Amino acid sequence: MRLLLTGLNHRTAPVEVREKLAFEEKALPEALDRLKRQPGLQEGMILSTCNRVEVAVTADEESDAEAAVEGFLAESRSVARDWVSPHLYRYDGTDAIRHLFRVASSLDSMIVGEPQILGQLKSAYALAKQCGTISGYLDLVLTKAFNVAKRVRSETDIGENAVSVSYAAVELAREIFGSLQGSRVLVVGAGKMAESAARHLRRAGVSEILVTNRTRERAETLAMEVGGRVIEYEEFHSVLPEVDIVLASSGAQNYIVTWDEMRAAIGKRRNRPMFLIDIAVPRNIEPSVNELDNIFLYDIDDLGKVADNNRKGRLEISQQAEVIITEEVDRMLLRLKTREVAPTIVSLQDQLEQWRAGEIERQRAKLGTLTPQQEEALDAITRGIVNKIAHGPITELRKQAADPSGVHLMSTIRRLFRLGGD
Amino acid sequence: MLDPSIFWLRTATCFYAVGLLYSMLALVRRGNMPYGLARGAFRVGVILHGVAIVDLGMALHRLPVENFFQMLSLCAFWIAALFLMVEWRYQFASTALAHFPLVFVMTLVAAMERPVAVLTDVRVRETWLAVHIVLVLAGYAALLLAFVASILYLIQERRLKTKRTGKLLATLPPLATLDNLIGGSLGVAFALITVGVILVMMWAFAYSGTSWIGEPRITVSLITWGLLLGVTYLRASAGWRGRKVAVMALIVLGCSVFTWAAHAGLRWT
Repeated sequence: MRLLLTGLNHRTAPVEVREKLAFEEKALPEALDRLKRQPGLQEGMILSTCNRVEVAVTADEESDAEAAVEGFLAESRSVARDWVSPHLYRYDGTDAIRHLFRVASSLDSMIVGEPQILGQLKSAYALAKQCGTISGYLDLVLTKAFNVAKRVRSETDIGENAVSVSYAAVELAREIFGSLQGSRVLVVGAGKMAESAARHLRRAGVSEILVTNRTRERAETLAMEVGGRVIEYEEFHSVLPEVDIVLASSGAQNYIVTWDEMRAAIGKRRNRPMFLIDIAVPRNIEPSVNELDNIFLYDIDDLGKVADNNRKGRLEISQQAEVIITEEVDRMLLRLKTREVAPTIVSLQDQLEQWRAGEIERQRAKLGTLTPQQEEALDAITRGIVNKIAHGPITELRKQAADPSGVHLMSTIRRLFRLGGD
Repeated sequence: MLDPSIFWLRTATCFYAVGLLYSMLALVRRGNMPYGLARGAFRVGVILHGVAIVDLGMALHRLPVENFFQMLSLCAFWIAALFLMVEWRYQFASTALAHFPLVFVMTLVAAMERPVAVLTDVRVRETWLAVHIVLVLAGYAALLLAFVASILYLIQERRLKTKRTGKLLATLPPLATLDNLIGGSLGVAFALITVGVILVMMWAFAYSGTSWIGEPRITVSLITWGLLLGVTYLRASAGWRGRKVAVMALIVLGCSVFTWAAHAGLRWT
């Protein structure tokens, strides 16, 4: 069995590609079901965020898992395989484990150290578990990834260093408006990112936050958390001229704010500047809106670049975290190899026990009737011999489990002791 | 004894001056100015202006359009009357910011057909001119401030639009601050230069009659003042702001440099 991870992220694909590949939350159970039914795949998990779409699977050694996963992605999102393929990365075995650990630890994030990715990975894991597409191997790796993330966060300052997209948005708003006192904000969508950004803006001193969402309950929850006011989703366009900042993060598949609407809005507000933050994938605001005078539109990639410029000491902290990742990858490999040699050890012990029991039965006629004490002594002597014989091979198997030569040793032992399956 | 028509015209000019004051305060402070008072004074001014034209026509026994001053007076009257009609019919008062100064300046020039006695004194004339120079130079200083703010605005705006958020330019002031600075500086410059222009026109009429009107340097001055009036009006009334106003401020300063160069030797020529 082997682990394979295929995906794309903010570094390999622009937002135009990512928004086409992103899975809607409600479509994920069906997608996981179809993923598991791909030939040769045993387990599967889909991680779909605004910055990455990744599919982690375990597959039979002889299967063409790469092709199966790429075909699944292209087919699921109705895009040509040739179109998406250049943007994809593929990790196998150890590299896949390392990548998952780095993702969980937020080392692979657009904003290194941002905390959301761990929650998103946990949600993806929980959903896969709920859909029954994760069992032994992938379960083990992902559970470990969560522990690694926790260790990285506690042993380095990576969390302190997380200059988030939300923070970058606030900084940009200050560069446009100066003080944010008296500014009004419209939040469209009620996801985690929107909540984080709205909190930052509230702390920066905005006077009013209007929240709208297709599901009114979610809008009400967010409004309560950030001290905002809910407006009906169908009416949010009418308040555009009255707000200074628009924070869009809805799950809409098409543009919900267009060039025409913004041109009308900026005219009505007599050209007072507006800052539009589009952190949704797919994007919510028509990109050409940025060409209008006095309107400044930033999407998730733009904010990421700003945040990247803001970060200080990122390199040193990342290096510390990478050391931890390497250590944990080694431990994981050892654990997995030990898991792989376990059947050989059990087989060896069973074989030797069978040989021992067989030989005793064969020689029992010659031995005559034995007293219980003699039976016990015979058992102890033969078991001792068998254990001594098995001790060397078992110790070596465990010791070399994580070593590439461990595979040869396992094969040799299986041959020497006629364990079969080799 | 002063001709009655000139008396009425000069009185009308005084009432129009209230409108001018309103415009300047509105452009500089951009708050809620007492428009009712300005409109009332303007209406009285229009009535007196009409009386002056009728009186002159009766004295001449024909339509008073014999010279530049009389035509300018009639033209200013029609502009003022038209403004009042539009304002009454459509409740459309936003053009007052441009109309009030324009009508005032035109009527003022028309009222200078007869030299003003006080300006015949040399010391008064010298002081008058000095005040003009001080006001205009202060206006230029305000324009220079608007120019610097405009340059910074255009750089900052470009930086934010193209999303090149390098640290080198991160210390530039916020766009809103720069925009306010541009607007405020232009408003102050407009007020100072307008008063300066009015003073020098009165001075020139008293000193040289109408011989200076066709001079190129006067044309340059009037174009500069017209541009300044245009940009301050469009900002305050039509909501122009940001890049458009910044570019206009650069153009106005460019014209002002020409104007200043043209007038540098005014006192000694």
